[in-house]
Amino acid sequence: MAVLTVNDLCKTFGAGTARANRVLDHITFDVRGQTFVSIVGPSGCGKSTLLNIISGVETHTSGEISVTSDAGKPARLGYVFQDPRLLPWRSVRRNMLYVQDADDEVTRRRVDTYLDMVGLGKHGDFFPGQLSGGMQQRVGIARAFAVEPDLLIMDEPFSHLDAITARGLRAQLQDIWAQSKKTVVFVTHDVVEAVELSDRIIVLQPGGRIFEDITIDLPRPRRQSDPAVATLQAEVLARLENMKAMTPQVAAAG
Amino acid sequence: MTATLTPRRSTEELASSRPAWQKRITSDRAARFTFYVAAFALWLVLAGLFERIPGPPSVVDRLVEEFRRGEVFGNFADTFYRFGIGVALSIVVGILVGVLVGLSPMARAFLESPVMVALSIPAIMWAFLTVMWFGFGHTSPIVTTFLTAVPFMIVNVAQGVLGVSRDLRDMSSSYGVPLRRRVSDLVLPAVMGYVMAGIRFVVIMGWNGVLLAEWFGGSGGAGYRARYWYDANQFAGFAAWVVLFVGVIIILDQLIFERLSRRAFRWRDAAH
Repeated sequence: MAVLTVNDLCKTFGAGTARANRVLDHITFDVRGQTFVSIVGPSGCGKSTLLNIISGVETHTSGEISVTSDAGKPARLGYVFQDPRLLPWRSVRRNMLYVQDADDEVTRRRVDTYLDMVGLGKHGDFFPGQLSGGMQQRVGIARAFAVEPDLLIMDEPFSHLDAITARGLRAQLQDIWAQSKKTVVFVTHDVVEAVELSDRIIVLQPGGRIFEDITIDLPRPRRQSDPAVATLQAEVLARLENMKAMTPQVAAAG
Repeated sequence: MTATLTPRRSTEELASSRPAWQKRITSDRAARFTFYVAAFALWLVLAGLFERIPGPPSVVDRLVEEFRRGEVFGNFADTFYRFGIGVALSIVVGILVGVLVGLSPMARAFLESPVMVALSIPAIMWAFLTVMWFGFGHTSPIVTTFLTAVPFMIVNVAQGVLGVSRDLRDMSSSYGVPLRRRVSDLVLPAVMGYVMAGIRFVVIMGWNGVLLAEWFGGSGGAGYRARYWYDANQFAGFAAWVVLFVGVIIILDQLIFERLSRRAFRWRDAAH
């Protein structure tokens, strides 16, 4: 598990130029322990940029960010992207091993365990091109868990999948998360998905400010058919509608 | 209005609907064979029309004679020794420098101009220069082969590295994959198509280079032997060596590159 601290974080693309575009504006929050936090908001509000800064792929313009393990050491990160991002010339198993620290017997067993957990135990020797989109995304999820990360980052991992496949993967994700006890930061624009999966929902508004930080206090496992889940989903949606009404540019963006 | 769709047929149906002879004459192999037959027929026609072009019978006679005297194996042994070293050096150095140029903007800025200059220098110039520098012997053809071929390898590999998927590079960064593994598992396989194209260029340009260097400054080798017949005004002997040069390139291309390509891209074939 990890401690993620974001303090007064700003990100401006093209800072200091005439085309400067601020996408994150004084963001402050922290995440600790086995918590599942979702970041929701309309397209272009800076969700993916925030994840890229957390993962170190992108640099921030000002403010502070730190990701440490519970023991205070630099945290190990796992990242599930919108698309699977697999090496097409390597087998599924080699793709999993590519991001591991070691290539020993213990690591191989762990890789196979996570492949089993996502139902792909028999596909380790397949090339990604031989799998469906949903299966490839399951490899991406297994790869992220198999590094045994302190912090798991997920960027709209189900947005490219059909509804049934996405529902199955969400259920699988909840099971694996419950077993592995990771800190998860999950980006989505789907409020229904966020309520089903999260302990907390951070709502970003256009311009990259935090609009609201909502705690979801519902028992797990959650099912969309559960009236309490449906009620909360409706409530969060209403708050987002409220945000839209308060920020005219969101309404214009659609 | 109702649109009528033409019944679609599966690839299996299409394959089984064509008779075997039709599949044979429209195959890649048949196309290649047709080219060789057409080229041979053209040669026959030109030889019949022009006295200065030797026909196949006199060239074959000369070839047999060269084989009988042991000239072919002896000279080709020399040529392949020089060509092999020059090509191997070009491939290794070309991949290393190409990866460096592709990965490092500083290396790119430093090496871009010299590589472009080297690309624009024809093999014949390198042949003259190396003969002046190193005299007659193995060194001139080896260095000519290397200098002629290596810029093509560098440019191809650098282009490939620059084209490596940004998404996969970001994925590797986010997981903290070490540089060595990124090069071996991401960069090199991603540039394999460019490497294969580069090797093809290296072999063809290197072959040009080694023959030219031997022609102008050799004391043995296939290029030297071709010049021997040229200087003796024996066009049949000269043409016999040209046939051998062409034959070597065809054999290298068909037997080695085709197989290497199939092996390098088996992951792509597996997906279809």
